[in-house]
Amino acid sequence: MNRRVFLKGIGGVSLAAPFLPSVAEKAAKAQGMTTTPPKRLVIYFTHNGCLTNRWWPKVTTYTNGAATLTADMLKGQTLEPLSPYIAKLTIPRGFRSMNAYGSGQSIDPHDQAVGSKLTCATIDSANKRYATAASLDHVIAKQINPNQASPLVLSVGAASTQIKEVVSFSGPGTAFPATVNPLTVYNQLTGVFGTGGTTGGTGQASYLVKRKQSVLDLCKQDLTRYQALKMSKQDKTLVQTWMDLLRTTETGIVPTASPTSCSKTTAEAAPFTATSANVMAASPTGKITLGSVLGNTPDPVGDANLATSFTKGGDMFLNLIALSMICDSNRMIMMLYPGYVTFNWDGIMHTHEHHGLSHRTGDFTVGGACGVTGVLDMIWQIDKWYAGKYAKLVGLLDSINESNGTLLDNTATMWLPELSDGAAHNLNNLPIVVAGKAGGYLKTGQVVNVEGTGTPQMGNSDMSCANGGNIGNTGSSGGMLPINKLYVTLMNAVGCTATGMPGGGKVTQFGQFDGTGSSGGITNPGEVTKLTSAG
Amino acid sequence: MKSWSMIFFAAATLVGGCVGKVGDPHSGGSSSSGTGNNTGSGSGASSGSGSGASSGTGNAVVSGVGGNAGSSTTVITGAAGAGVTFCDTRGISVTSQVPRLTNAQYDRVIADLLGVQQLKASNNVQPSTILATDQAGGLSDLGWSSYQTVADLIAAQVMGDATLKKNFMKCTPTGDGKTCLHDTIVQFGRKAFRRPLTTDEIARFDKIVSDGPTLTATGTVDEIATLVLYSFLVSPSFLTRAEMTETSDGAGNYQLSSQEVAQRLSFMLWGSIPDDTLNTAADANQLSTPTQILQQAQRMLMSDKARLKIADFHRYYILMGPNTRWDNINKDPALFPTFASALVPTLEAETEKFFDAVAMVKKGTFQDLFLSPTAFVTASTAPLYGLSASGFTTDFKEATLDASRPGFLTRVGFLNAYAFYNRTSPIHRGAFIMKQVLGTPIGTPPPGAEATALPPASADLNTNRKQVDAQTTGGVCESCHHSYINPAGFALESFDAMGVAQTKEKSSGAAIDTASDVVIDGNAVHITGAVDLMNKLAASPMAQHRYAERLTSYLYEREGDAMDCGTVNDLAAKIAPGGYTLQNLISDLTQTPQFRTRAVGAM
Repeated sequence: MNRRVFLKGIGGVSLAAPFLPSVAEKAAKAQGMTTTPPKRLVIYFTHNGCLTNRWWPKVTTYTNGAATLTADMLKGQTLEPLSPYIAKLTIPRGFRSMNAYGSGQSIDPHDQAVGSKLTCATIDSANKRYATAASLDHVIAKQINPNQASPLVLSVGAASTQIKEVVSFSGPGTAFPATVNPLTVYNQLTGVFGTGGTTGGTGQASYLVKRKQSVLDLCKQDLTRYQALKMSKQDKTLVQTWMDLLRTTETGIVPTASPTSCSKTTAEAAPFTATSANVMAASPTGKITLGSVLGNTPDPVGDANLATSFTKGGDMFLNLIALSMICDSNRMIMMLYPGYVTFNWDGIMHTHEHHGLSHRTGDFTVGGACGVTGVLDMIWQIDKWYAGKYAKLVGLLDSINESNGTLLDNTATMWLPELSDGAAHNLNNLPIVVAGKAGGYLKTGQVVNVEGTGTPQMGNSDMSCANGGNIGNTGSSGGMLPINKLYVTLMNAVGCTATGMPGGGKVTQFGQFDGTGSSGGITNPGEVTKLTSAG
Repeated sequence: MKSWSMIFFAAATLVGGCVGKVGDPHSGGSSSSGTGNNTGSGSGASSGSGSGASSGTGNAVVSGVGGNAGSSTTVITGAAGAGVTFCDTRGISVTSQVPRLTNAQYDRVIADLLGVQQLKASNNVQPSTILATDQAGGLSDLGWSSYQTVADLIAAQVMGDATLKKNFMKCTPTGDGKTCLHDTIVQFGRKAFRRPLTTDEIARFDKIVSDGPTLTATGTVDEIATLVLYSFLVSPSFLTRAEMTETSDGAGNYQLSSQEVAQRLSFMLWGSIPDDTLNTAADANQLSTPTQILQQAQRMLMSDKARLKIADFHRYYILMGPNTRWDNINKDPALFPTFASALVPTLEAETEKFFDAVAMVKKGTFQDLFLSPTAFVTASTAPLYGLSASGFTTDFKEATLDASRPGFLTRVGFLNAYAFYNRTSPIHRGAFIMKQVLGTPIGTPPPGAEATALPPASADLNTNRKQVDAQTTGGVCESCHHSYINPAGFALESFDAMGVAQTKEKSSGAAIDTASDVVIDGNAVHITGAVDLMNKLAASPMAQHRYAERLTSYLYEREGDAMDCGTVNDLAAKIAPGGYTLQNLISDLTQTPQFRTRAVGAM
């Protein structure tokens, strides 16, 4: 398959970017259908669970396992900042993600929760505990991304290849660590910015185009030498991937359309204000505290950079996510946050790191005495901070108009957690919210019990440690529907097919297994019709 | 992953369950014939479970596919007749021919090649700061885009600085600059690609120059030169440590060219490109015999660049790094009023300086790592060593400690890192020694183990040792902890949580008891205390083998590869008699067939 990638032109030339199509869109175009804006999936990922009973909407009555979401239901709850968007939200109750510690593998609850989260596969304790399959973002990116570009995986905080912070896997055992520097993403985008609809043609533009082609030819011929060697299959694939990247840009092709909104002017204006200076100010220049399950000793430089990363950096990432979508350089985007940092920004002044607080003990020990006075309030501060940023992302996407609605309307923007409750480490009854209807595939404005018609439990996060004492059961029961089905629903929502080709039919399954163990294949295939507008 | 564990224990001294439990066959790949060992992967360093090794980067002892049929084994017999067995397979590992530079290597290469350490136009960050994060899969679009952005910035910075420019162009262009640029292409290209360019390659770069006027804004020589430099920096042959030569070695594998050997040497010993001397030797084909290679290796080991690389190895050996116990030391101010967080980098640095001094400055041996009385002391650590602070300043000063402090395990760095906030941790110290030093696969604690409460001090439990012993009595804990994990830690109870020598338990005044039975080389050996333990560790074949295995894994960039078993045994055998320098061990790794040849196959 021919690939075209939005590369930064030498000297900043813009290769004005038409909506370069996935295979399905090429086919649609060929059939003369109008090109509507593409559909995108955004995953916002946080660690250590939450106070579940404060997180979910307070639904009094489910009718046939669903309820229309109202602002009242969010009042006083963690998701209250999402009130302006209730008509565009779906809150699915009842999913369980894979590989719970003890019933699945018995390596480490967090490593398993993270490694299996988007892969629904086992982790390999002989290979850094990495997952044994590619993750959802890579599977989706291959199908829907222009040029099959890799998913855009971003993280606040320090770069890490440790399993606790790696959710994305480009293949079995191959981690795809997040990019933590807004400047790296911004640099790529500046090569995509259009000139407002004009095509190349001036002498200046043409030297840059020629230059780019000459260098690409040089690089291609370099790789051709490697291709002549008797290499292993894996090496051949690596070389071919690189060659595909190089083959993308072709001189002489006049871009047919340039989304005028994909421009430096747009980037620098409100709401993004992504000027070069602002992006640099949001980007790390030195060491960022990584955060440790052993607790964090103060480090003035690292901690200051961490605070910048969480505040300015994260906010700039939200802007860059929106711009990436506007420029259609990526349709599969993930925004990750680290799990073991001590919150010291935006009015939160903690002395224990998040993971330790989520245990209620203040450190990695499990169970026993509630180790930190006021621990529930501290967890709630963090929960609300994350909800605020998620709401900011949702609001930002909803403020951008596309031809048929807002950018948000053409996405499924999901907040997906590592765990339900951090002390219980339970994976059932996961607190999940999806914003956006993915172009109409999803039915929004509702809280849905995907498991049945009963009333889902709000959980016991608040039951312990309100006034010291010992940590009891902070989890909940029920909510056991395999998350694989949510992923299938989302894959269909953004236009994936079972074969990866147009007309390939709906996706029906995802992952290695969907049982409570860590094997056994897929026993409950299919999407969740209740979440779709057809259901 | 084609690798397998290298140790299993003969049954004799195994208390049923501990190591045996860890020996669960690892799913994923068939186990080979030969030794048939399949030590489970449960020895993983888990930062979440509170076991001794906490870097979270995964364990080195891995099981899986690998090994040739008919592999022999080396057996070391302990005093009581119990055996410890290591695999002994030898072969050429299959390696990638096209590994990309890591971001860390990229920074060093750019610094060495062009003298650029910070990107002036991008907030003065190190170049790799704006590259995509390292990942082992195929190059991503973001990765490719970021290489181009950075190459752009570097080329502009170099050409805009008269001094840096000379790192790229040794001549001064005249007229249309073609002659000088041609010479630059040949000469700079040789360094950048770590091999001479082919005539085709030179012609392609020459064409960029001759097309230059149409490929640049105004066609000046400087602009064209900038373009040439940019083109080098985005070339796959620059970004990849390629091995392309297909000369047969007569044994089914490929013999590396001299230039490829030079590339292996420089990246192994320096983490960067060859220098001019090495390149000259390579071009004169003076890197094909082990003797020739050794000569260069010994020269290169004298460079500061080698010191940095070996320092990195020793951090790997002792699990030092971000997010490890070393980085997260904190002490109760009520019990340890002299502790301050500013001490943490000092504690790490004194450890690093110890290893550097022994390995690189004093040209010491493996045994010296455990026995040397050298220490690097500041005014803040002097009191911890029982020395008067008045002899010291905020800078490190080398000192010779008395006979009670042999080796790195009695330095305050280790003793602080492997202790708790308010007391020592014999479990963590013991687990580190058993696992990281002796290579014993002790496994990870079962679920909830670290939540086991410490029985409170009492008249009967009047020392930390007794409390920990009681904490780990009974149930699933006892077999591993009492026999394997705790004893080595108990031997170090003569040093408190800040590494200060102690003979009495602070809380009760009870005498500290450091006698214990530590399983070394398959036998429970009675140890009287720290000094005795260090002597035994220095002399232990398992400890020697473990160090050799770590060194091989790190320098060959492949952990626990079955094909390297024989090499590891050879190194361990060199260590055993004593008097063999660590530098010689390192250069020995350049002498193996594995170093000069490569194999192709499924990876």
